[in-house]
Amino acid sequence: MQHCSPEQLALAALREPLPAEDAEHLAGCEECRRQVASLRRSVDVLAVPELAAPGAPVPPPPHLWAGIAAATGVSAAPPSEPPLAPVVPLRRPARRWLALAAAVVAGIAVGAGAVAVTRDDGPSGTVIATAGLDALAGEDASGRAEVREEDGHRLLEVDLSAPSLDDGYYEVWLLQPDAQRMVQVGAVTAGDTVLPLPPGVDLAAYPVVDVSVEPLDGDPTHSGVSVARGSLTR
Amino acid sequence: MTVTLGLPGRTATPYGRGVRSASTPEESLEPDDDAVGRRFRAGDERALAEAYDRWAGIVHGMAVRAFGAGPDAEDVTQQTFISAWTGRTGYRPDEGPLAAWLVGVCRHKIADVWARRERQRRVAEAAVVDARSRPEGGRDDGLDALVADRVLLLRELDRLGQPQRGIIELAFFADLTHSQIAERTGLPLGTVKSHIRRTLERLRTRLEVDGAALQS
Repeated sequence: MQHCSPEQLALAALREPLPAEDAEHLAGCEECRRQVASLRRSVDVLAVPELAAPGAPVPPPPHLWAGIAAATGVSAAPPSEPPLAPVVPLRRPARRWLALAAAVVAGIAVGAGAVAVTRDDGPSGTVIATAGLDALAGEDASGRAEVREEDGHRLLEVDLSAPSLDDGYYEVWLLQPDAQRMVQVGAVTAGDTVLPLPPGVDLAAYPVVDVSVEPLDGDPTHSGVSVARGSLTR
Repeated sequence: MTVTLGLPGRTATPYGRGVRSASTPEESLEPDDDAVGRRFRAGDERALAEAYDRWAGIVHGMAVRAFGAGPDAEDVTQQTFISAWTGRTGYRPDEGPLAAWLVGVCRHKIADVWARRERQRRVAEAAVVDARSRPEGGRDDGLDALVADRVLLLRELDRLGQPQRGIIELAFFADLTHSQIAERTGLPLGTVKSHIRRTLERLRTRLEVDGAALQS
């Protein structure tokens, strides 16, 4: 018989069964088999399970959106993401702050964080990095942060302009750019606070200074409520 | 003519959260998939967030299937949406739903990760080979070429118009026979067959001209 039609050869390349007559011809025809083999190369390159049509959806981890928002500069949030997800990880469910008497627990809160070292003798040491702290959407807090080195120790000075809080306190963190990993630096107040940086923290890995509002609830993790943020530059 | 790839729709896939039943009253207030696609194309930032909400699950599902859960899969999912957004003018709403386009972008990103791994492997191997004063290099050149050809052919698929692209994607990625494709798309059997032939011949030419496997 005559050779298989080009259409049949293409279907054979896709491993579709051919009509008996074509299949028989193909089995014995060198030229047609060569055609099928050459057409099949692209099938073998692309028709692999990893590229196959989507199967079961897998929910992406919650922090992925933050990276997309950061890279695209888009500030809208997906409807089913918590509103702060683009900028701050929520490590625990949002909840109402406990109405505790601040006077009773203030000491505990400071004790749980780092102890603020307030210096009377003004700035000293060498400035190794600075960051402007910009208010996050809807927040009324801003300021400046400076990392200084003095006698082999590093200090973080935060000059914060923010409303005073009745039922919580401001806490400073160093974040990785994806806002997933963070180092707690300590509690700050409006105005000037100097804190020792935990030794060994790599500022290149944790370049983002983040100021959060922490409720007085005894939970030492980030509240997920950030009010100001900025990147350290040298 | 529009060829849809039969991707799961909204109710089947919004990724685990925010699943809304079709009968809830607020459903009618939500933009439909086509509207999200058009606004995405037009650069409406909310449409990116909505597209993520609806289709990040299927994109991430593909990424996890290719690489397992972890950094590579997460990177693919992020890069898919970032690159879809920056390249949104390449999306043609009249040629298919945004979800299908995102899946196509995701395939590129998966191939990119393969290529990156391959480069890293080559660099690592080159170091070893140098250290051993080059015994017999190139043992894995076949894998290397396959990865390069995948990137090449995915790019060629991007250049296909519809319905050719939809047809070949159903054959390659949904493993449908030509008669199933005809049924799915409503196109005549003969049309499907001749598009498949032309596309396979086009891809063959591409491989013969620029393919890595045949040149090594």
